[in-house]
Amino acid sequence: MTSPHPVKSDPERVLRLPAEFPNKRIWWVLFLFALCLLGLFLVSVAVLFARGPGVWGNNIPVGWGFPIANYVWWLGIGHAGTLISAMLLLVGREWRNSLNRFAEAMTLFAVTCAGLYPILHLGRPWRFYWMAPYPSTMEVWPQFKSPLTWDFFAVLTYLIVSVLFWYIGIVPDLAGARDRATTRRWAIFFGLGALGWRGSAQHWQRWQRAYRVTAAIAVPLVVSVHSEISLLFAAGPVPGWNSSVFPPYFVMGAAFSGFAVVSMLAVWLRAMLGLKTLVTERHLDMLGILLLATGLLTAYGYLAEAWTAAWAGGRELQTLLDRFAGPYAWSYWGAVLANFGPLQLLWWKRWRTTPLVLFAIGTSAAVGMWCERYMLVVSSLYHDWLESSEGLFHATFWDWSLYAGTIGLFFTLFLLFVRFLPVISVFEIEEARHE
Amino acid sequence: MTDGTTSIGAPLGRRDLLKLLGGAIALAGLDGCERLPDEDALPYAEMPEGETTGIARYYATIVEHDGIAQPAIGKTIDGRPIKLEGNPAHPASRGASDAFTQAALLGLYDPERSKQPARNAFPSGWHEWDGAIADLRQRNDKTAGSGFALLTGPVGSPALLRQIQGIMDRWPATRWYEHRPLPDMGRNRLALEQAHAVVAFDHDLLGPGPLQIFHATGWGARRRAFQAGDGSALLFVAEPSPTVTGVTAQDRLPAREDRMGPLLAALAARIGMPVPVPTLSTPEAGWIERAAGALMAEPGRGLVTVGPHHPPQFAALAFAIDRHLGNLGETRFALQPAPGASSSLAELTTAAQAGRIDTLFVLDANPAYASTDGAGFAAALGHIRESFHAGLHADETAALCDWHAPLAHGLESWSDGETADGTVLIGQPLVRPWLPVRSRHRLLADLIGRDGTDRELLRAGWPDLTDEAWEAALLGRPVGPAPAREKPAAPRSTGPAGEPQGDLCVIVRPDPAVWDGQFASNPWLQELPRPLTKIAWQNAVHISPALARERGLSAGDMVRLSVGRARIEGPVWILPGQERRTILLHLGGGRRAGGSVAEGAGFDAWPLAAANGPVSLVSLGRNEPVCTTQHHFAMEGEEFVRFVDGLGDRLPPEPPKANFYPRQLSRPAWGMAIDLDLCIGCNACVVACVAENNIPMVGREEVAKGREMHWIRVDRYAEGDPENPVHVFQPVPCMHCEDAPCEMGCPVNATVHSPDGLNLQVYNRCIGTRTCSAYCPYKVRRFNWFDLTGKDPPELKAVRNPDVTVRGRGVMEKCTYCIQRISGARRQAKREGRPIADGEVVTACQAACPTDAIAFGDTSDPATAVSQRKASGRDYDLLPDANTRPRTTYGARIRSGEA
Repeated sequence: MTSPHPVKSDPERVLRLPAEFPNKRIWWVLFLFALCLLGLFLVSVAVLFARGPGVWGNNIPVGWGFPIANYVWWLGIGHAGTLISAMLLLVGREWRNSLNRFAEAMTLFAVTCAGLYPILHLGRPWRFYWMAPYPSTMEVWPQFKSPLTWDFFAVLTYLIVSVLFWYIGIVPDLAGARDRATTRRWAIFFGLGALGWRGSAQHWQRWQRAYRVTAAIAVPLVVSVHSEISLLFAAGPVPGWNSSVFPPYFVMGAAFSGFAVVSMLAVWLRAMLGLKTLVTERHLDMLGILLLATGLLTAYGYLAEAWTAAWAGGRELQTLLDRFAGPYAWSYWGAVLANFGPLQLLWWKRWRTTPLVLFAIGTSAAVGMWCERYMLVVSSLYHDWLESSEGLFHATFWDWSLYAGTIGLFFTLFLLFVRFLPVISVFEIEEARHE
Repeated sequence: MTDGTTSIGAPLGRRDLLKLLGGAIALAGLDGCERLPDEDALPYAEMPEGETTGIARYYATIVEHDGIAQPAIGKTIDGRPIKLEGNPAHPASRGASDAFTQAALLGLYDPERSKQPARNAFPSGWHEWDGAIADLRQRNDKTAGSGFALLTGPVGSPALLRQIQGIMDRWPATRWYEHRPLPDMGRNRLALEQAHAVVAFDHDLLGPGPLQIFHATGWGARRRAFQAGDGSALLFVAEPSPTVTGVTAQDRLPAREDRMGPLLAALAARIGMPVPVPTLSTPEAGWIERAAGALMAEPGRGLVTVGPHHPPQFAALAFAIDRHLGNLGETRFALQPAPGASSSLAELTTAAQAGRIDTLFVLDANPAYASTDGAGFAAALGHIRESFHAGLHADETAALCDWHAPLAHGLESWSDGETADGTVLIGQPLVRPWLPVRSRHRLLADLIGRDGTDRELLRAGWPDLTDEAWEAALLGRPVGPAPAREKPAAPRSTGPAGEPQGDLCVIVRPDPAVWDGQFASNPWLQELPRPLTKIAWQNAVHISPALARERGLSAGDMVRLSVGRARIEGPVWILPGQERRTILLHLGGGRRAGGSVAEGAGFDAWPLAAANGPVSLVSLGRNEPVCTTQHHFAMEGEEFVRFVDGLGDRLPPEPPKANFYPRQLSRPAWGMAIDLDLCIGCNACVVACVAENNIPMVGREEVAKGREMHWIRVDRYAEGDPENPVHVFQPVPCMHCEDAPCEMGCPVNATVHSPDGLNLQVYNRCIGTRTCSAYCPYKVRRFNWFDLTGKDPPELKAVRNPDVTVRGRGVMEKCTYCIQRISGARRQAKREGRPIADGEVVTACQAACPTDAIAFGDTSDPATAVSQRKASGRDYDLLPDANTRPRTTYGARIRSGEA
């Protein structure tokens, strides 16, 4: 694969975006909306902390509800960034350069949202650090057999590496923005972030090494984090969870949902910021192909899961039938339809390169993957082993408000990123063009 | 404190007592002669010499239920009563108890108990009350009690009877009315442990009620004897709606209430009595044939019984059958006839409306709510010049009376009572009252102006008793010798015979948890899932699956049910096994002045209890989901409850499963065996566990969301033909799995295994990830979704067992096998330098169980009771394919009852 067609307009315009931001009014409208949702998040958390997790719909048997479903959903979204950046960097696919920066930012913010959920989910959230292996005076350690312990490590590692990778990647562009700043305020702002980058050969050489090493660390994490998350379910003796297909299945689903959201953001950003020359139809096409590929792999996961359940029979089959026709069948069929229905349009390049269609398909997949997470958590727990334990879960206002609130948190952070930082990796595009 | 054996530790905790003492001093001038010097409570700030805090003291007492005393042992710690157990030395308890006895403890602490006298619903004082009573006394002295009426609830206390007799002696024109809201149990008693074959006609022998412990312990003894090869234990039940007795029976016939007469006659004719043979359907004839066969197979070892709500002719016929078969004096015996003759509430209403009653004194009865003619009673009160009411609560009747006085709870007063087997026990108070209340003996003594403390009043009632015998009585021995089990005499058989009813047949029965409504303010009982429906916090219109199909009704559909002019509105509940055209209602809902707990809990079925006329059932076209703790009652082909066909049959051996981990062979290795052949689903274990383990109640909304906190639940399944399925109960505490999935899931080591094989939950380490619950195949774990305990009023804090941690918000909890009791036994054994003996650790559920369905002990020792149960061949693991190696195992139910 070759790099995309040379861009005609000046990619350096990206570096001037913060100072000469177009569509300021739209940004403000979006930002205020995101702030409202963020306010809802704060209210929801305050209510949760004041009253307890009973404000949600969780119960026995469905002890895990929205928080865990949303945690997996956000973490899944947080996968595409690293996958696009690190993996495609290592395999030398330069077309990624137009996408990696904001995809990485998306990862960062999605992982932030994801990471908050397991803490908020706790009965006693102020004790969350007990999951960390620190030398406590009571000499009590985490329980290392628990998938949750490894979950904690995995998410924390992923967050740290994602931050590092994103930050290392943005340093040269921050320097570029600093050098092009028209006011002192912007110069100081970018200058602080640029850490004294001067673009010397030695800088570049060290940067290259650091960036590639971090990428090399990040790539296996993409696989390991979601594999680890899947163990949260796969390790539990719960019909519909206890399955060895889960790790790859989760990684595929995560990448799928991540690419879906990257597609949405790409379409939106190129429209709002006028980046059509940087994020070209070629990029949309590539995203469409990735979305289709990961979507089909996810679909395979669905089939494999249904097959193993049918093969296993017994309670596994019962859970499958519950998913097909039980009280939460809407979530199963919602996932199947929203994930794989509109996706089929992506077989045609015409639709892949139509921004609105790609956006709609991405949205559909994001919704579908949410249904899948919900289905996975709820439809397994509500009816597990004993018929007598069966009990339905109904989400409450505070379930939805916290979810909407995390979306607000995500967009607040993302809009701040869009407004104040270079959204596209300018130097890498330049580098690719010069090469 | 008076003397060693009778002394009562000072009541309540130290702080509360200091407050109360302050209050007592402040009120000293107001309450005049209320507190005699020797009755004053002392705070634990001045601890008695030699007293150690935290050491339990036990007092023999009684818990009276509808005039029948349940023998009990009360446990107090630092002066606070914290648990009731059955009295193991008494044959009417054998250590067992029921849900009502267990929950009586909470009744004592009820924060909404009446706290001061009231006049016309306005707060008043004892001084004013005493003045009014003094006026009444003077009046009665002049008129010899003409126009004075005393209305009591069912009286089972000889002391109370004597006091009533004393009043009647002094004022001969006094009328005594006894209000029995529910049918009288009569004076015949059933020795179920002797009965190899029992045929019950619409009689819920084993079901809730004042004779439940007596019957269930008897039946349990019989069934265990059957298991040991000593004779049959057959139970035949014909009933319109499933009861715990019916579903325990080997042979259950769903039959309309109005079929009981013909069925009885058919049985009588079948065993050769000269009775006209009625026409029977094929199932009925078959059932009669089998029942008669069993009865005739062992004359003198059978028993025929009819529910007390049926006409006296039926009881007379059942009696005649028993006489014919030689069962009298064997399986059926009679108590001494009750002394004193009272009249009924209906007679009171008539007399009042005729203007023959001028003053009414209501003692511990609530006819304004709990009677078939509450409105009639209320109207009758209008004809009465002055009315007094004494009760635990300012209830519906209190609201109608001029005067109300707060009554002392049974657990804080001296009394006595006749138990189910006719012996009399002394009821000691477990605590001195902390409210300005008076006992019923005190109130009646005041009426005739008699002095003395409650204890003196009671002691004076037993003048023939030596001091030694009195001391022994305080230790739980019956007063006087056990009465001879006499052959009963034929009952009088007057009154209307049962008549065939219309198409739909409405039956109204006491609620299994709140009874006739008297326990509606008790959250432990309101939140108790009813045995057959698992409904909590409300009642419902129970209909058969066939009727539901015919009317297109499903669970929760609101209907209007009217009988004649009486009507109620309530949600439908479909009960498999109910006779097709029968509609069952439970009493005890819809209290109008039952306090905040009872508010909104169900509808009031009392108006329908005696209503006549055409029955109509109309759908209201809306659905209000019924609050229930179990939603699915079919086993769906699984073997959660297993069966063997006959005595000596064994379950097929379970193939060993692959497992990475070696078996844990600690010593002791605690384990439990629950024999489903003995479980009758009575719920005694559930409430006992609540009382022992400080389990918070969560209320209707939370139960409906699936957040009840019970550590042991009784699952119920119904399999087979919905017209007459096999119902089974399965108590499910924590399984204490050796390979517990919860322990693997917890990230912070908050659930771990103890060396003696317990699955522990470490509350202060738990951060509330709920992984353990998600991974638990048995879903026995309970989560504190809110702070369920912190905001409890002081009374509810005082009822807590100090040996059990009170859980805070956000932590998981579950059955611990009563680890505090294990720990107590271990400490005791260690002090004495010996191993813990078998039977030394008795869990709360096990102690309460009237049929001994639960065995607990060291499974590493093959000689223990629990090991022998597990080796019986009927023992099995719940969910063996989960391969969790549970320490709690089950004994398969035996289908047959024939030896």
